[in-house]
Amino acid sequence: MGAVSAVRHLHVGPEFHAEQHVHPEPTSFLERYIFSKDHKVIAKQFLWYGLFFLVVGGAMAMMIRWQIAYPGTPFPVLGQLLWPQNGGVMPPQSYASFFTMHGTLMIFFAITPILIGAFGNLLIPLMIGARDMAFPTLNLMSFWTNVLAGLCMIVSFFVPMGAAAGGWQSYPTLSTLVGSPGHGQTLWILGIFLTGSGSIMGAVNYITTVVRLRAPGMGYFQMPLSVWGIWLTAILNALFVPVLAAGVLLLFLDRVFGSHFFLAGASITKGGGDPVLYQHLFWIFGHPEVYILILPAWGIVSDLLSFFSRKPAFGYKATALSMSVITLLSMAVYGHHMFVVGMSPLLSQGFMTLTMLISIPSAVFFLNWLGTMWRGSIRFATPMLFSVGVVFVFGLGGLTGLHLGAISSDIYLHDSYFVIGHFHLTMAASVLLGAFAAIYFWFPKMFGKMMNDRLGKWHFWLTIIPITIVFCGMLVVGYGGMQRRLYNADAYDFLKHLHPINVWITRAALLLGASQFLFVGNFLSSLISGKKATENPWEVGTLEWTIPSPPPHHNYDEIPIVLHGPHEFNNPAVAGKDWLAQDEPIGDEPVALGAVGH
Amino acid sequence: MHQWPFSWLTTVDVSRDGWRAEALFWYTTLLCVIAFALVTFALVYSSWKYRARPGVKALYTHGTDRKSFAVTGILAALVFFTIDLNLVRVSQIDVKEYTYNWPTSPDTIRVEVMPQQWAWNIRYAGPDGVFNTPDDVVALNEMRVPVGRPVMVNLKAKDVIHSFYIPNFRLKHDANPGYVTRTWFQALKPGNFEIACSQMCGWAHYKMKGDLIVQPEADFVRWMKEAEGDAVRRFDPADREQLWGWEWVQ
Amino acid sequence: MSTAVAVTRFPVPEESRRTSFVGMVMALASWTMLFGALFFAYAVLRLRAPAWPPDGLQPLPRALPFFNTLVLLASSVVLHFGIRPEAEKNPGALRRALLGTMALGSLFLGLQLAVWVPLWRSGFRIDTGTYGSIFYGLTVFHAAHVLAGLVALAVLLPGAFSGRYASGRQSPVRLSAMFWHFVDAVWVVMFVSVYLL
Repeated sequence: MGAVSAVRHLHVGPEFHAEQHVHPEPTSFLERYIFSKDHKVIAKQFLWYGLFFLVVGGAMAMMIRWQIAYPGTPFPVLGQLLWPQNGGVMPPQSYASFFTMHGTLMIFFAITPILIGAFGNLLIPLMIGARDMAFPTLNLMSFWTNVLAGLCMIVSFFVPMGAAAGGWQSYPTLSTLVGSPGHGQTLWILGIFLTGSGSIMGAVNYITTVVRLRAPGMGYFQMPLSVWGIWLTAILNALFVPVLAAGVLLLFLDRVFGSHFFLAGASITKGGGDPVLYQHLFWIFGHPEVYILILPAWGIVSDLLSFFSRKPAFGYKATALSMSVITLLSMAVYGHHMFVVGMSPLLSQGFMTLTMLISIPSAVFFLNWLGTMWRGSIRFATPMLFSVGVVFVFGLGGLTGLHLGAISSDIYLHDSYFVIGHFHLTMAASVLLGAFAAIYFWFPKMFGKMMNDRLGKWHFWLTIIPITIVFCGMLVVGYGGMQRRLYNADAYDFLKHLHPINVWITRAALLLGASQFLFVGNFLSSLISGKKATENPWEVGTLEWTIPSPPPHHNYDEIPIVLHGPHEFNNPAVAGKDWLAQDEPIGDEPVALGAVGH
Repeated sequence: MHQWPFSWLTTVDVSRDGWRAEALFWYTTLLCVIAFALVTFALVYSSWKYRARPGVKALYTHGTDRKSFAVTGILAALVFFTIDLNLVRVSQIDVKEYTYNWPTSPDTIRVEVMPQQWAWNIRYAGPDGVFNTPDDVVALNEMRVPVGRPVMVNLKAKDVIHSFYIPNFRLKHDANPGYVTRTWFQALKPGNFEIACSQMCGWAHYKMKGDLIVQPEADFVRWMKEAEGDAVRRFDPADREQLWGWEWVQ
Repeated sequence: MSTAVAVTRFPVPEESRRTSFVGMVMALASWTMLFGALFFAYAVLRLRAPAWPPDGLQPLPRALPFFNTLVLLASSVVLHFGIRPEAEKNPGALRRALLGTMALGSLFLGLQLAVWVPLWRSGFRIDTGTYGSIFYGLTVFHAAHVLAGLVALAVLLPGAFSGRYASGRQSPVRLSAMFWHFVDAVWVVMFVSVYLL
């Protein structure tokens, strides 16, 4: 009986990983820490890289908010360093390049590296029971291509006329030489092209690894939902980042070689192109991009909710399939970003209807999240708090998407702070909280130390409250009519009455910024002197918790044989503990390994 | 006139069709508040009721039984049919009756608007009714329209993309370089309102401001007469830049 | 408790060959989207133009590009037959196929130059409206991929001569061939859309 049940659980992958030999660990410093091919080291590199740009992008956000609330007053301390000639007050040109670079850095250089670069790299091989990525060298190249991209962005601040200042979408003709002379915008294009290439390399690697290197018994529906999220993200990355690459390539040709793809208007007398073409290319990529950012967080949160509720993920398959359906739908809704561009009415209406379809799968996995907590036995450790926070802010963000998806309300709200509030709730707040949840949760596995839970909880409350105020405040001023990207909203009479609200948003934002020092302090002090982590401090069953923290160079001495799904909590057949490792047989049943090897 | 919640937050709506955006906005908001309240309630309730306590075990279920599927399916379908399809339906009506329902009546005011970095060029066809001729009435940063007549706007940007935004009319539309886009509105009340740019158009985007002056019919006609008289006198044939207009797109 | 039981394992090369095949398929899917987006850009610009070629420009020449298309197709055929499983028994087949493909690929690039240079000299440049932008933007970008393909094939040569890639089914050979065929296929679409239609 026991043997039969064990075999029944086996969903044998199409392949068996004999190719995964144990490579000896490199001994030189360069190969171990700098040009490492070990996915765990690359994950850490991406984490540091992403956190660095998170700090830069976050500091910019503070200065942007300061300018909106207190126009004409110098930003404390940093203002005098950055704009001494202006008395420490941010000039409008810098404001424009700051909001442009804030968006660019946060999306491509902070969120992407942390969730996709760091956790994609860390989790995929560990969670599917592999020794490394399918293509370790490609992995190394992916990271260093990203570093080059980051350098382009940093250098662009120091060239004459400064960094790109045409908004993170960089719509032509503003982003062509007509609107943006100087090298800042060109470096921006190079940076985006490089980071895009790095993302594609990573994506190809992730997809292949998931398809080919799953441990025996690890069918697609035995994978943790984190892996599902990252895998779907990788698919979108591989297919849609090239479209952005094509867009910025043509923009590059326009700027550097004088072609006319996007040029039109007074600057050109004959043979003009179409600036709106860029918007099509941008948003064909841009809409999948928001799912690229959020899918890993969804996956991670789906897992963590189950882990800390000590209860199997409710409707696991439905969640995985809903995420897949959203992935598919995201490819066909980009036109809702362009309702006021002057698209044909038929197209607009089609895009609106498709957009609304996204609610169905979203509702399904939302209900599954709530169902997972229902009748659980919830342990509120820091990662769980952050996961619940994600559900909360994503609820707000997702629902406000409805206002923008319908044409007539969008015509009023388009390009207003309502949009800013909406997309920050979905792809900034949710993703950031998801990233924090992931860091608090996997820090022990990455570094072998525990993070301080009490500080983590303070960090959570001092983050979730201001973050909600900031972005909901933006929804409010957006409905009040305030457009985005205004250096000084008081220039318009119809916005003057919103000033007090903007001041409160800024205060909350400064608090939000300040409370991140709790995280930085916790992170660094835990790294140095944190409590030593055991193999499985959270008592969960996914494969990475069956090996030491941190794992050895080759991860698994023996490739595990997977017998269960990732969320076997409180299984009545298990005695003595409420969790079950994915490769752990129930009771004394022998495992019929012969069934695995074809 | 319609009354909306939190009206102190927004500008006064003086348009014939601005209520459509407001109505849909508040309808959506109401449904969202209900949905979000339910989610928050479930989150808080579960967090409290099912917090880990000694001796209490979590329920072992994968939520794959028929009942769970039915509940999830019904709730998801409910969201889709009550919220989404309603929004689509209302929006389709708005689109048909307003957004793309270009005014054709003979009393329609036709205006060409060419934004540039960082100003609004306004052009009326003048007595001959044809655009881009010497008798056109041209203005900078000031658009005058009469109360109660539909105003059809042709937009074309000079240099970079701008967006013609008139908050009191709950309306905005992009102006692209290279080709003409259209939008229209109708004022119900006279007054002085603002034209704003809502698309990033360079560092001075924030002060690209124009005036929209809605006048009673008689005042508007008087102003137009005067302006038409001045137009021909002011026209300098040597200055080709002056003829920046284009053939009207209905 | 379970005890480790020996399991049958596939021979290693077969496994990693399949893995790199999956990776290459994904990479080519990515590249397809890149070129697809460029063709989309072309389609939009063209549909928006009142006439094509716009602005009273002369249509592009067709004869030489057509011949060039045949050259590139021939290179794919040569490569394909050189690395078929049947060719494995013949040790020189791979070498000849690589050299032949590279020769034809180089000829293609040479003939592309023969198309570009006279046009450029006659005043038809990248800044000659959208027609010039599309023509040079797309064909030069494609030529860069041909060049990359040539480099990939050249890297294989030492292995082919030393006998390391005795079988054309070895991963590096197979992957480079996939890339080469892909670049050819893109060219066919480009020739039909940019020159013929």
